[in-house]
Amino acid sequence: MIKHLSDEELIELYYGGAWQTASAHLQACRVCAAQYAELKQSLDTINTIEVPQKNAQYGEQVWGTLLPRLIPYEKEVSGWREWAQWRAITLSLGCAMLVATAFVGGRYWERHTGRTNTVARSASPHPGQPTVVVILADHLDRTERLLVALQHANSSDSEENAQLQSEARELLASNRLFWTTASRSDDPELAGALDRLGGVLAEIANNPNLTAEDLKRVRQEMNTEGILFDIRVLRTRKPDQGNVPNQAMGDSI
Amino acid sequence: MQKDDHSVVRAVLAGDKDAYGTLVRAHSAAVFKVAFRIIGNEADAEEIVQEAFLRAYQRLESFQRRSSFGTWIYRIAVNCALDRISKPGIEAECRPGEEDDSEEMTVQVAARDADPERWLLSREISTAQEMAMLRLTPTEKTAFVLRHHEDRSTSEIAETLGIAPNAAKNAVFRAVQKLRRELAPLRGNA
Repeated sequence: MIKHLSDEELIELYYGGAWQTASAHLQACRVCAAQYAELKQSLDTINTIEVPQKNAQYGEQVWGTLLPRLIPYEKEVSGWREWAQWRAITLSLGCAMLVATAFVGGRYWERHTGRTNTVARSASPHPGQPTVVVILADHLDRTERLLVALQHANSSDSEENAQLQSEARELLASNRLFWTTASRSDDPELAGALDRLGGVLAEIANNPNLTAEDLKRVRQEMNTEGILFDIRVLRTRKPDQGNVPNQAMGDSI
Repeated sequence: MQKDDHSVVRAVLAGDKDAYGTLVRAHSAAVFKVAFRIIGNEADAEEIVQEAFLRAYQRLESFQRRSSFGTWIYRIAVNCALDRISKPGIEAECRPGEEDDSEEMTVQVAARDADPERWLLSREISTAQEMAMLRLTPTEKTAFVLRHHEDRSTSEIAETLGIAPNAAKNAVFRAVQKLRRELAPLRGNA
């Protein structure tokens, strides 16, 4: 039985993605060819937005308005202050090297003495940068609470909706961080759930007038019940099943 | 140009405030273009340009040297525009009215005196299109403008909006589905 192209694939095709496989299918399948022609006609009618032309002086005008609002950065230091600064940098580097040597020595000693302490997988992939370790379990707890609230949000109480929106905004940033880490650490199950969750959070966070109808639409269109189920499954994962929620997981920001 | 931009950034960070003017002059037009496409209003788009360059100046120390200043300011401008359309009341301001059809038309229409019937049809399509765009959520609208009008790839949209690629792809997909539904009655006439 022939597998037809989905709407998503047709849209991808229109915008120039996955051209080779999809266009070969279109030549062989009349149903998909007709659907694609209809989609193309719809999208072709969406006119080009005519942007007002700005003259060569526009940049100058922008700069003129902007200039009084800018506070200059501090000028670079020179002379003895520069020398003092270099001395401080050298001292800091020396201390850092001492700490690094102690750390490496400690690790070496630990291996030799056969100690098998479990090290939390919270090491930053970017050593030297300040690291904020965020606990995945907390994130999943908060998202679960948000999704449960979303499932039951039917009121037109604007305060309640604003609370939901503010929580979604906070979670959006950390969700992006966890998604990046999960993608890098080859955990497709977690990455996929966080990806779908990111879409829901973005929809709620960026909606200017969040109404009960909007929430209903998000629930239906984005299958939030399914995402909630995935989150609950992830929270019950055992330690040998990838990045378990009770382990620390984070990334540099 | 990219290399020059980097040396200008270094000069600004070293205390030469006036050097920032070079970047503003070089990138203002491009920033205005994308802001206008998202906002659909010239005055608001000009404000977005100001806001984007101001935000960029304040965060210049965090500018990653490996990327170009043009790409960086573009992302800031898109997010400023997204913030603007996410604020309550802005959509109502942008809603097309009866009196704004002469000067602030945001879509291309045929010349009025060339063929009155065609002009009317074109006007009808434009209005329907504007109304359809108002039905999109801010994320959907921004993602669609970047894909359809700015010709950006899914990964570029994702990076610009700070969301996962699949979320960006879905936002474009939902926008296209909604626009198709809204514009379906006009399909026979076009």
